[in-house]
Formats: sequence, C-alpha cells, structure tokens
Amino acid sequence: MSAVLKPKSKFIVCDGNEAAAWAVAAARVELVAVYPITPQSSLVEYLAKFVADGRLAADLIDAEGEHSVLSVLQGACLAGARTYTASCGPGLAFMFEPYVRTPGLRLPIVMGIVTRDLLTPQSVWGGHQDAMSVREAGWIQVYCESVQEVLDTTIMAYKIAEHREVMLPVNVCHDGNYLSFGAARAELPDQAEVDAFLGEKNVNWHAALDPQRPMAVDPLTGGAGGTGPSTFVRYRKGECSAMQNALSVITDVHEEWGRRFGRTHAPLVESYRMDGAEYAIITIGSMTGAAKDAVDAARQRGENAGLVKVKTYRPFPVRAVVDALAGVRALGVVDRSVSFGWDCGPLFQDVIGALHYAPRRIPAMSFIGGLAGADITIGHFDHVIRRTAELAEGPGAAPGETVWLNEKD
Amino acid sequence: MDQTHYLIVGASHAALSALHAIRLHDAEGDITVLTRDQSLPYSPTVLPYVVSGRSKPERVFLRDEEYFARLKVKYRCGVAVKRVSPEKGAVQLADGEEIGFAKLLLATGAAPVLPAIPGLAEVKFHVLRTMNDAIGLREAVPKIKHALVLGGGLIGMHAAENLAKGFVQVTVVELQRHVLSGYFDADASGIIERIFAAKGVQLLTASRLAGLAAHVDCWRATLGDGTQLDADLLLVAAGVAPVTDFLDGSGIQIDRGVLVDDWMRTNAGNVWAAGDVAQARGFFEGERILNGILPDAVGQGRIAGMAMAGDAGAKPYAGGVPLNTYAFFGQQAVSVGVQETALDPAGVEVHKQVDAERARYLKIVLRDGRLAGIFGINWAFDPGVMWELILRRIDLGAVKQAFLASPQQTARGLMSKTWR
Amino acid sequence: MGAFETISFRPEHCDGCNDCMIACARAKEQSDDVLHSRIQIVPAEGGFELAMCRQCGDPECVHNCPAAALSKDGESGVIDWDASKCVNCLLCTLGCTYGGIVYDAPAARVIKCDLCDGHPACVKACTHGALKFLTTARIYNEVGNLEDLFVPGLAGCQGCNTELIMRHAMRRIGPDAVVATPPGCIPGMGSVGYNGLTGTKVPVFHPLLTNTASMLTGVRRYYKRIGRNVKAVALAGDGGTADVGFQSLSGAAERGEEMLFICVDNEGYMNTGMQRSGCTPYGAWTSTTPVGERGRGKTQDAKNLPLLMVMHHCAYVATASTAFMEDLYDKLDRAIAASEHGFAYLHIYSPCTTGWRFPSDQNIEVARKAVQTNFVLLWEFDPQGGLRLTHPVDDPFPLAEYVKELGKYRHLSEEQIAHIEASVARNVSFVQGLAAGRPPTAAAA
Ligand SMILES: Cc1cc2nc3c(=O)[nH]c(=O)nc-3n(C[C@H](O)[C@H](O)[C@H](O)COP(=O)(O)OP(=O)(O)OC[C@H]3O[C@@H](n4cnc5c(N)ncnc54)[C@H](O)[C@@H]3O)c2cc1C
Repeated sequence: MSAVLKPKSKFIVCDGNEAAAWAVAAARVELVAVYPITPQSSLVEYLAKFVADGRLAADLIDAEGEHSVLSVLQGACLAGARTYTASCGPGLAFMFEPYVRTPGLRLPIVMGIVTRDLLTPQSVWGGHQDAMSVREAGWIQVYCESVQEVLDTTIMAYKIAEHREVMLPVNVCHDGNYLSFGAARAELPDQAEVDAFLGEKNVNWHAALDPQRPMAVDPLTGGAGGTGPSTFVRYRKGECSAMQNALSVITDVHEEWGRRFGRTHAPLVESYRMDGAEYAIITIGSMTGAAKDAVDAARQRGENAGLVKVKTYRPFPVRAVVDALAGVRALGVVDRSVSFGWDCGPLFQDVIGALHYAPRRIPAMSFIGGLAGADITIGHFDHVIRRTAELAEGPGAAPGETVWLNEKD
Repeated sequence: MDQTHYLIVGASHAALSALHAIRLHDAEGDITVLTRDQSLPYSPTVLPYVVSGRSKPERVFLRDEEYFARLKVKYRCGVAVKRVSPEKGAVQLADGEEIGFAKLLLATGAAPVLPAIPGLAEVKFHVLRTMNDAIGLREAVPKIKHALVLGGGLIGMHAAENLAKGFVQVTVVELQRHVLSGYFDADASGIIERIFAAKGVQLLTASRLAGLAAHVDCWRATLGDGTQLDADLLLVAAGVAPVTDFLDGSGIQIDRGVLVDDWMRTNAGNVWAAGDVAQARGFFEGERILNGILPDAVGQGRIAGMAMAGDAGAKPYAGGVPLNTYAFFGQQAVSVGVQETALDPAGVEVHKQVDAERARYLKIVLRDGRLAGIFGINWAFDPGVMWELILRRIDLGAVKQAFLASPQQTARGLMSKTWR
Repeated sequence: MGAFETISFRPEHCDGCNDCMIACARAKEQSDDVLHSRIQIVPAEGGFELAMCRQCGDPECVHNCPAAALSKDGESGVIDWDASKCVNCLLCTLGCTYGGIVYDAPAARVIKCDLCDGHPACVKACTHGALKFLTTARIYNEVGNLEDLFVPGLAGCQGCNTELIMRHAMRRIGPDAVVATPPGCIPGMGSVGYNGLTGTKVPVFHPLLTNTASMLTGVRRYYKRIGRNVKAVALAGDGGTADVGFQSLSGAAERGEEMLFICVDNEGYMNTGMQRSGCTPYGAWTSTTPVGERGRGKTQDAKNLPLLMVMHHCAYVATASTAFMEDLYDKLDRAIAASEHGFAYLHIYSPCTTGWRFPSDQNIEVARKAVQTNFVLLWEFDPQGGLRLTHPVDDPFPLAEYVKELGKYRHLSEEQIAHIEASVARNVSFVQGLAAGRPPTAAAA
C-alpha cells in the first residue's frame, strides 16, 4: 500500500476497536446504540468516551440488549438518522430477530462485528462463527485485515450502504482479539475530506416514519391471493439485485477512496502473488497477514504458491473469485468457522460453489483454524501450502476431508 | 316519467315523521314529498289558533325549504294524487303527470265528513281542515254575529271556543248526550260544558240537525225537536274520514281507512300508509281501528319510514290508544286510554273524583291491576308517562294505592325506575 | 349530529332535600314553590326518583308540536320552547314519556328544563352528589371533530372495542405522530395495511412483537435531535407488552424514553387464536390453557403490568377502561403530555368478544362490570402525585357478576372463584395501600 501523506491527515496508534470508533466519528454518525460484549466492549466504550468528549456528535443510547440496540437503530434510521452499532457472538445471536429484518427494510445501517466464536463450548474469543451464521440474512459483509482497513472500511461502509442502488445494511467484520485488541499505526483521514467523500446522507428516502410524508412501513405482504405473491417477490428480488449492485458499488467506492486518500484496499478479493501461481490458498480477515508471509516463504523456496483474500463475503464476489483463480490447479481455503452441515468451512463452500462457473474443475481442500481465539501461525499456513501443493498433483480431496489446523496445538 | 325511490303523499305529521325516519337510515335514496296544499307543511291541529288569530299563518310551518334542501328531499306542493298503481309502481297526479316510485307512503290524512242533512248542499258552510279553511273562517269572523257549529267533538269545540273569543255568539249542536264523547264521560264533559256555558257558548246536546235553509241574510237551521236557529256562519265539524278516494282501482284494501299491518304496510308490498288515513290495530281492541290523532300519526309515520328504509331498529306498532289533550278557556283536560264502558267489565276497576265546583276531575280505569285509562280535568299528571304505562302493561300491583292517591308522583317514580 | 351535555341523576345519593327544585324554581320562576321546578324529585319505594327533560336526541315532543314551537338546538342539544308560537295544546306532554315537559298551571304554560345555558342551577344546589352535569358529550364532540386517523373499514371482530381505543386515541394524539403496532389484533385488523396499502393516515409500522419500545426510542430520539416534536406512540397488545416485548419496554421506561405506550389488554394472544399470555388471569380458558378432564384453565394469576411500570418511575402510568370514557380521555391527555418529557404508559382493558366468549353487543357492559367488581382497578400514577384511584369502587358488585358473563370462565369451580376473589382482594388492598402512601409490604399483608 502506497501511503501518500495527505496534508491534514494525522497518525494515531490504536487497536481495531478504537479505529472503528474513530471511523464512526469521521462518518458523522448521528445515533449510536450500544450494548457491551466481549470482545466488542472497548469499541462501545470508545464510542461513549468520544461522545462524552464531544468528539462524536451522536446520541448514544445504552440499550438493555442487542435486540433493542438494532431496533433503536431501525427506528432512528426510518426517522432519518445515520446510525452505527457493533456486536458479536451471543449478542449477534440475540439480535437475530431485528437483524434479519434490516435488509428487507433496506435500511443502510452499519454494524461492526468484532467476530467471536459462538457458544457452546463457552468461549469469549475470536472466530468467524457469529458472522458466518448470519451470512444468508441479506446484510453486506466485509472482512478487514488490518486496523487501518477497519477504519477506512467503516467509513466506506456508509457510502456503500446508502448508495441508491444498494440501500442495504453493512457488517464491517474485524477479528476479535487479533484486530480488536491488536494496536497498530493508523492514519486518520481528514474530516473535510471524509465529508466530501461521503456526501449527502441518504438513509430513508425510500421508507420513512415521518409525519411529513406519512406511509405504512412494512404492511403485511404476501400470502396466496391478490397482489400478495407478486408484491412479495418484487421485494425479495429487489433485495437480491441490490446485493448484486453492491459488487460494483463496493468496487467504485474503494477506488474513490484510493484516489482521495491515497490508500487502496482491494474491494472484493485481493490477489497476492498470484502471477504464475500453480496453486492458491484462500483467506479471510486478519489471518491473511501470516498467510502472506507463508506464501512469500514458499515463493522463496521456489514453490509457485499464491494467495487470494476475500474481503467482500456478502454479496459473494463469484466472478472475482473465479477470475482470480483462473490459472491455478489447486486451492486450499482457510476458514475460521465451520459449516456443520457440510463438515467444512463456509468460505470453502462458497468458493467451490463459485468454481462451478470456472472453465474447469479445480481440486480444493477445506482448512479450519483459528477457532475461539486460536492462532493460525505461519507454520500452520506452511502446512496449508504443502497440502494444497499435494492436491495439485493428486486426484483431489474427498468430501469432508477437512483439515483442522489447531487440532494438535 | 319522474322516478323516485321513496314517494310520500301528504306533508303533515305522518309524512314528516316518516321522512325523518327514512333519512336517519338512508341518507341518499331519492325522496319526493307531495301535498295538495299550496304551502309548506303545517298541522291541521294548529288551525283553530289561526282562526282565533293567536297563530299567524306564516309562523306555523313545521318545516322550511332549507330543511328539505338539506335532507335532499324534493318537496312539491299544490299537487294532488289522483290514482295509484302499485303494480306499475307509479302514481298519477291530477294534471295527468305520472311519478314512478319504489316505495310509496300514503299519508293523506282525513277530511271532514258531510252528514246527510237536507239542505246542506244548498247553503254556504265552512269546514276546518286546511289552511285555506282556517283563513276563510278567520276572514268571516269579524263579519258575523252568530255561528252555528255542527258537532261537539274536538274540532267543533276548538272552533266554537275560538269563534266565541272573536265575540261571536256560538251554538254547538251535538247528537250525543254530551260533548267530546270520544274522550270524556258525562261527568267530565259536564264540567267542560258548564265552562262553555259560562263563556256564553250555547251547547245543544242530544240534538239533531234536521234541515237547513237560506233565510233573509242568514241560514236557518231546524233541529230534530223543531227548534229553529238562525246563524250567519255555519261550521260543519261532524267528524272526519280518511282520504282514500284516489285509491279507487288501486287494489289497496280499504275498510274505513287504508288497512295496514303492524309495520304500516298495506296489502300492496310496495305501499305503506300512516296517520289519519290508516286503519291499524287497536291496542285494546285487537282489531283494526281509526285513531285520528296527531301523536299516532307521528308514531305510525316513524314505523312506516323505518320499515320502508329497511331500518333493522324498527319495532312493530304497539297498537292505537285513544288519547288527547284538550285545553279550553284556560283549563286543561287530558284523556289517555279507554273508558270503562269500552272494556269487558271483568277485572275492571274505576276510581273517580269529581269536584264540579272547582272544575276538577280525575278518573282512573284499571284492568287486572294495570292502567287502562286516566282522564283528568285540571288535574296534574304526565299524559306521556301514563300512555307508556298502558303500552308497557305495567303491573301497578304494589304501588296501586299510591297511584290512586297520587298518580303523577307514582307514575314518575315508576318511569324513573323502569325506563329512564 | 353530535352528542350533548346532560344532567345525570344518581338516585342512591339523593335524600329528597328538594334543594335542586327550589334552586330551579328560583332561577326560572323567581319562586320558592317547587311546583315551578322543571326538575322534579319524587319519592318512590323508599328512595327518590327524577322526572325532567332528557333533551332527547330524537324528541317526540318536537314531533308532536303542531305549532312549530319546540325545536332541538343543534349546537347545545337543548330542546327550545318558543313562547310566541306555542298554542298551549299540551300535545307535547303526550309525546314525552319522562314527564319532562309539563303544564305549569299558575304560569299558564308548559315548562321544561333548558340546562340553564350550560350552568344548571339544580346541579349547583345539589350537595349530595346525586346530580351531576355530564360534559362527556363535550369531550365526544371535541374528539368527534378531530380527524380520524385510520381508514374506514378496519376489520376487527364484531363488538371489539380495540378499534374504538385506536381511533379515539389517535384522534387525540393527532397527525404529528409515528405509530407502532406490534403484531396482534391492532395491525391484524388492517391498520398497517396489506400488500402496499396503508390503513392509517399517520406513519405507522409493524415493529417486531419484541421491540416496539426500542424502535420508537430511535424514532423519537432522532426527531428530538433535529428539533422536531414528533410523538412516538405504541398501540400494543398485552402479549407483546407483558411477555416477549417486556424487555424493550422495561429498558425504554428505565431510560425515560419519551413516548406514549398504550397497551390494549385483552388478556391473551387473541389475534393468533386466543393463547395464554402473562396477562391472562387465573382460571381463564385459553387455547393453551384448555379445559378438559384435568385442565381447568390457567393456573397462575396475571402479572400486574401497570404496577410494574409504576416501579419504573415512569412519567405517567394509568389504567383505563372503555366503559369510563371520560376517565380514559383524561388519562389520555395526561399521558400525551407526559410523553413529551418521559415515558408514559397507558393500560386499557379490552374485553375480547371472540376470545372471552360473550355476546358481541356486551363489550362495554363487560368492561363496566370488570370495574364495578374491582376485577379491574382504575388509577393513575405520576412521580410527583403518586398513585391515585380515579374511580374507587367502595361497594363492589360480587365477582360472580363479572365472571358469569364470560364464556372463558364458565367452567370455574367454587374454589377457583374463591381464588380469583382472593387475588382481587389482595390487589385492591395493595393498590389502595399505594394510593394511601402506605408501604406496599404493609398493605399486602
Ligand atoms: C281543527 C283540528 C284540531 C285538531 N286537534 C287535534 C288535537 O288537539 N289533538 C290531536 O291529537 N289531533 C288533533 N287533530 C287531528 C290531527 O291534526 C291529525 O290527527 C293529524 O294531522 C293527522 O296527520 P296526518 O299526517 O295523518 O294527516 P293530515 O294532517 O290530515 O295531512 C294530510 C296530508 O295529505 C295531503 N293530501 C291529502 N290528500 C292528498 C292527495 N290526494 N294528494 C296529495 N296530497 C294529499 C294533505 O295536503 C296533507 O298534507 C285536529 C285536527 C283538526 C282539523
């Protein structure tokens, strides 16, 4: 990443949670509702402190639970507010009822997920199981790799969510423990520049609770008679196309970000050392740093390994994934969560699903690591690379032949 | 042909009450009201006061144009219905015009009956039923000295009093043994007669008018007993009969009046009748009677209107009860219900107090412990409450003695407890 | 046609002192003779009864007047008598079944009550509370003149009073409001609409059953932030309020969010087929507390939601009944005012013709009996004034009068009725204790 120093930007050292809070301030969010939960708690504490210090000019509502947190945001958004919250793990599970409703209402709410493994076993540490469990709820989900990316993406998320062709809520996911508490140097963008970047707030032009333009929000829809079925289909199809629209919007917004702030982040997928790669490992989130080191080392050894990082997980960038993997003969997908039904990782599932559109079959293997705060080390990735290389030579993995990276740690 | 949903013939109490009831239920259906009178609606009952000058003709109208406009009612005066065809759903007016209807109300009231008296056809006489009659009488009064009133019923007595008040010498000839026999017994009528006599009105009861003839500048009447009377004004008030002449050939059943059921419907499914023209079930008799009084015209009109509009709140007719109030020379007489003579004597009790000196009278007729009639002169009680006691057949049982001692108080207590 | 003011008479409070009659005779005829009074108190069977003009809606005296001397004033509802037209025929007295228009012999004319231009002398003279000048009609007319904010033709069950509650509440609250109707009978009857059509003229939405108070929090907070006074209103059922929605309700109340939360309590999940809720009373049949060989209805008492709200120190809490509309309107006004600066909670009892199984024309009667038997207590609370009973019933009807009206209690045994009676008694003494400022523990004992 080429850092062109902008005159009024400044550098800070902060962790991912604080970075998210800075982004919320920069995006001039008007209403924040919070409920603390590990490992998100410090994020809401930063928000509260920023409000108390006058750095964040938002109304902050300490709701009595995550369910209400998101409900408050829905009400506020329908009234016209730009809104933010963050949650994770059991909190996200508790929030599920309003969570699944938000995309249908087409509310451009931004919510951080400071990812955490789901119970049970009882655990308070990172893992993607929470965010992955709600991947089909209709939210846009993007995964960040670094503190800086958390900050930048959280701001960008508003521009994506509020885009007229999108109007969907966005989850900005960053890994519990590793990103939430891992401090790094980050550049704080200039406020005027952020204002110019985000432009006019655009949250409730389509559906509002406003006596000045009264309407019924979400009347009973569907059933088998009258205009029910077609009306329901129209709403559902609309959501699906908005999701697809988001792919180009996300790309455009990332490009604009790069132009304005001189920092580019790959919008959908990032290809790392994929030139001439014979096989690739696929990563998501903060694990990517270690993975890149492992790939570098492999290249140094003369092995033609490459890496593809998925940033935009929902909508799933099928085309981008297929294109990125066009030249490889095998791939290993590393997940920090599991798909119980398939005995593999969910990202793996998505990737092999996307590869249905590839010109030829590519053998693939699912790796699961980093559950409940476990570290995925360079050593683990060496193992992944080795197994993937073997895959390129052999007949490919059988279903359920999943490698559990931390099984013997 | 003009077409209307509701057609009401007549514009007096029965008609107006029906109209009101229809509009309470049906705000939109076309309504046309026809009357052969030339004016806005008025009540025949007020006419004696027009004669006396107490009421100005232009101040007695029961409704104004604004009312009909507001209720979206077509009001046509000066038109008489000549023929009715229920099958066709149409009426024909005197000038031949036809009006189609879906539902028709006959509220044509009653008109004076002219008794078969030799010579009557040849002499000029008055009746009192319409505004024109009243104005004619009123104009005649200052020019006359002696009026002869044929009939000592309510209309005759009202007219007699008001003529007397115009300084006319009045003689009333009444066939019955006492005046107002439809409403009062001999004792009560006696009190009334004495007051009339004291006011200079000559009442000839049990007298029959045998003949009439022109004589010099007046009319000479000959009574059954040969007595001769001269009068320069003759008023015939010998009773009324329903106006049904225009129904000839309509197929609508008529006895003395138009026969109706408890919903005021005639034998023709699209025709109703109410008021003086109708012959409906009597409360005491069970058979159908004429009860030509204003309150019944109002009540029947309401039932007819509700039935015509299909108002589910309609209640069937409770049956006609004879009743009236009669104010004369500053005195008040009230008659509610039937005399004991009209009842099968079994279970009937009569309690009567007569104070002829002070012109006070009270009679209470009970049947099986329930009120059947109450009649008073200058005796305070609430006629409407008494009527309701009769209609509800309230058992006076426990309060009978109290009722006899103090009918007004006791009846009010019963009212307040029972239907307040 | 509007409703009108009227004088009400409570015979049980009348001792026959005649003060009202004297006051009337003086006011109207400058006489002390009660014969001139247009209000007549009559002794009857050990008590007193009343005869006076009811100012009937469709007055028979007016119909019976042949001289157009009587007419009903469309503004005041008073039946006016025009001396210049009257011919003294007395036919009006035949039309009146109340003894309301009578002949006054010394005055030589009929007399009738004219309500003294809205300040009746008789009522002022009554020191026993037997006469009351009811201005409820004024309220009805006021409310009637306000815009109905729901479309016509909401599809409630026959005889349901929820529609009444909704329409009247919203007329009062006005169009500058956002209305939340969580799943239940209220949106079920079409208030939020179907397939793109709305049932309401103000912004309205289905929250979840669980998050009504939270969504409204967001709405109100944002409008407040941008300086617009938009009322946040919930029209919720008891299930969504007391059970699954209680957390968000409690949270919002504790935070003192500014909103008006109206709970229409029909004692169960009536929209979905009459299942039990936390507000279902002991003994009641519901489809999930059925009556059978062993089941005898619900085996627990209802939770007392409004008292729970008192313990949240809300800006205003009240219970109300559609059988007492004057009281309800008062409370509604106060609740609306309180919702401008804090959490206002109004708990309105709503007998359910379908779910409680009683004839559809009996709703208001059932609601009235609930109050008259103390099954339901009408009170209000605010932090300054504490709790106050607004319609204390010192001499309640036996509970049986209420339960026997309702199909859902038809199976009750003597013991079960005794249980309910005990619960009612406990609640009465508890609430009376609160009203008297006694510590609840002492009162509950
Ligand atoms: C002098 C007098 C005094 C009375 N005093 C009393 C009393 O004290 N108490 C009491 O109870 N009653 C009294 N009555 C009787 C009372 O007036 C009637 O009972 C009452 O008016 C009946 O009302 P109605 O609507 O049935 O008919 P009416 O009042 O007779 O009205 C009939 C209507 O039909 C119209 N009409 C008739 N034929 C036709 C036609 N062919 N085409 C078009 N229109 C037609 C007339 O123009 C009129 O509008 C008195 C009547 C009179 C005449």
